[in-house]
This record gives sequence, C-alpha cells and structure tokens, in this order.
Amino acid sequence: MEKIKVGIYWAASCGGCDVSLLEIDEQILDVAAKADFVLWPCAIDTKYADLRAYKDGSIDIVLFNGAIRTEENREIAKLLRDKAKYLVAYGSCAQMGGVIGLANLSSRKEIFTTLFGAKTHWPKEESNQDGYPLHLPAFLDRLLPLGDVVEVDYVIPGCPPPREMVSQFFDALLGGKLPEKGAVFAAEKNLCDECPRERREERITRIVRPHEIEPDPDICLLDQGIICMGPATRGGCGAVCPMANMPCTGCAGPPANITDQGATMLITIASLIGTGLEGEEELEAEEAILAEIDDVIGTFYRFSLAASIFKGAHRE
Amino acid sequence: MAKLNDNGFEPKIVAFLCRWCSYAGADLAGVSRMTYPANIIPMRVNCSGRVDAGMVMAAFEKGADGVLIGGCHPGDCHYVNGNYKTRRRVILLKRALAEVGIKPQRLHLEWISASEGVKFQRTVTEFTGLIKELGPSPMSGDGED
Repeated sequence: MEKIKVGIYWAASCGGCDVSLLEIDEQILDVAAKADFVLWPCAIDTKYADLRAYKDGSIDIVLFNGAIRTEENREIAKLLRDKAKYLVAYGSCAQMGGVIGLANLSSRKEIFTTLFGAKTHWPKEESNQDGYPLHLPAFLDRLLPLGDVVEVDYVIPGCPPPREMVSQFFDALLGGKLPEKGAVFAAEKNLCDECPRERREERITRIVRPHEIEPDPDICLLDQGIICMGPATRGGCGAVCPMANMPCTGCAGPPANITDQGATMLITIASLIGTGLEGEEELEAEEAILAEIDDVIGTFYRFSLAASIFKGAHRE
Repeated sequence: MAKLNDNGFEPKIVAFLCRWCSYAGADLAGVSRMTYPANIIPMRVNCSGRVDAGMVMAAFEKGADGVLIGGCHPGDCHYVNGNYKTRRRVILLKRALAEVGIKPQRLHLEWISASEGVKFQRTVTEFTGLIKELGPSPMSGDGED
C-alpha cells in the first residue's frame, strides 16, 4: 500500500505545535508506518524547491501551524494549498491568529520601532550582504489567520492542540475516515459542558486574577470572580485548565454558533455582574468591578483578535 | 434648531432602539412632526439587552460612524433588567473600542421613554453633531481616530 504523504509547515509560530505532534505517544509509530513526511521544516531537511516540484494535489494532507505574518508565510500557504488535497489549520495561530494576533493592536511601524529603534536600523527587504543580494520577505501590515489567505479544510484547535484531538485526527487520517470538509477536531459544545466544576450562577461582585485568591477546586471559576473563557470557548480538551485551577483563556476558539468569541465573553461578564445595590451607588459599584479588567482586548480576545470583527487596531 | 458644526460630512449612525420605550419615543417624535437629522438608521429590537456586543461591532465593521443604543430608564425595563445588562456591556464595549483605536464617544447609550419624543429628537441631533465633529470612523475605511 502506498504511504500517505503528509506535510507539516510552520509559519509565524513558536514551535509548540510541532512539539505537540509528539504528544500522541506510541501512536506516532502507526503514523510512521503508514505515512511519509514530505515536508517538516522543524524536523527534516526539505527545501521549497522540492515542494514546488510536487504536482498539484499530490500531497495528501498538510498540517499548517502558525499565522500569516510575512509575505513568505502567505506565499507558502498558497503553494501548499495547491499541492495538498487537504489543508488543516493546526493550532490557534493558524485557526484565528493566536496570541501573536494581539500584535494587530500595533501598526507595522510601531512594531518595528519597538524592535529595531530608528528607521535606519529597520531590516530592508532588499540588501547586499558581503557582495551577495539578500531578499527578506515583507512584514505584512496585519497578521492574518490561515483562512484569510487560502481555503482551509479542517481545523485542529488549541494552543497547542491537546493530545486527544491530535490523536483523534490521526486515527481518522490513518483509517481513511476523514470527516466532511469544514470539520473541527474538537467538541461541538462549549467548554462548560465538559467542565466538572459546579455552576452556582452567582453574581460577580469582584473580579480577581488567579494569583490573588486560592480558588475552590469544585466551584465554577466565574462564580468565584475569575474570568474563565469557558462559556465562549469550544470544548474537547477535557477542561484541563479549569481542572488545574486555572481559568480557560479561550485557545480553542468559539463553538460553531458563535462568530466573535470576545464579544460573546464580553456580554457574558457584563451580564454576570450584580451588586444588589440601587441607583447611582449601583452604577458606581459596577464601574469599579469592571475597572478590575485592565486589558479588555487582551482578556477577551487573547487568541482570536486577528479573526474577530475588529481584526486589530484601526489607527492606520 | 441650530445646525451643529456642519462640515459637509454626513455620518451613518445605527440606532438600536428598544421596542417598549425608545422606539416608541422615536414614533412619538415622528407623529409630533419633530425634525431631527436623517443620519440615523433605526433598528427596532425587543430590548436594549438584546443588543449583543457583536451587533455593535458589526455595525462599525459595515461602515457606521456612530452607534446609538436607546433603552428604557433604569427600573422601567419591560424585561426587568435588560437595560442594566446593556449599561454594563456599554462600559466594557467603550473600553474595547478605545483599545482598538476607535473613539469610545462613537458609542452612546441613552434612556428614552415612550413619552420622551423631545428627548429622542435632542439625543439624535446632539449625537449626530458629535459624530460630524469626530469625522468618519477609522473602521469604515476612510477615517482616522
């Protein structure tokens, strides 16, 4: 039997997604037995020229991690789309921009000024190094999720994708049982659906950060005033963060019926706050509680800003 | 009524008005033949609490230069507490808007009852004047805040 041709690519990413592929333990042996890796910059030496030599549609599946930050990322995303039968957005960055999507709050100019200082120190796209021409890919004005550049067939969410989801994906791939295009390898419902904590539907009277209190391990974190993104986040990870006394930060993105994860979480928090006071006193108390959130976008859009309605800042 | 800072720019303003109070207030302004700027695009919703943050963002995304939310006065909500939720929501939304570079004044919440046709007229006139002063929204593609 001919082996399945698999490609793995990283664009703007931290490398955590590549490592997460190894979390499937001994299942990796099944993968190795049935699949050939034709591209994996993190692990094997393959060149773009080799990739270009493949016929269109001749690579069975490509797992693409990382966001589109440079012209190179965009070019390779388009190339891989042509070469692959199925293209998978692997991890939060490819799916919706990820943490690094928060860079969209700053302009290209602000980012370069912070990194390199005066404009004379900025890297140039075309330069000459020791007599050889050097081309650097352009840094895009805005970071984009993979789906903004090419059509994506499947999504494996998470930062990085948890073991169960990766394992479930390889089972489907190796067994020849890939679902219909558009499938997300995670739960349909939100995280709260699988979280074992007890929801008491308390009104929030103060907002605290995880290090400020010792949360009760059995009661919903929102009940205790910790902002947990569970209500606006897709389940499937087994609620691992809440079970470790840490709030969900939303890495899996929103469930299917929610388009803007941050907007949904924003109204959830606004609805949960309640002081029992009346009139002006009530308004003042509510304002004081909400003032405890000192980074609204960073809290509600930690992973999804680049894929949100806002997409980023609008100064330029 | 005197025109406020007429610089030739005609903003688009989306107004989400609750069915029980503010929309009825707008109706009263209409049947009383009061005049106000034609810049607002009224959207009737059952309750100001029905206005999802995503709806406000989508209005800006689709080119609104300002968004007005009209609801019942505190204590008067037909659904008991929808307007209180909206009030908290607007506090957070204004901060989110500021963080993405959109002036928070572009979002305005006002309590307008069914008998306050005059207040509806005044609110729309003043808000339209303010948005004219601010100019086009940066999210509509041709402005800068």
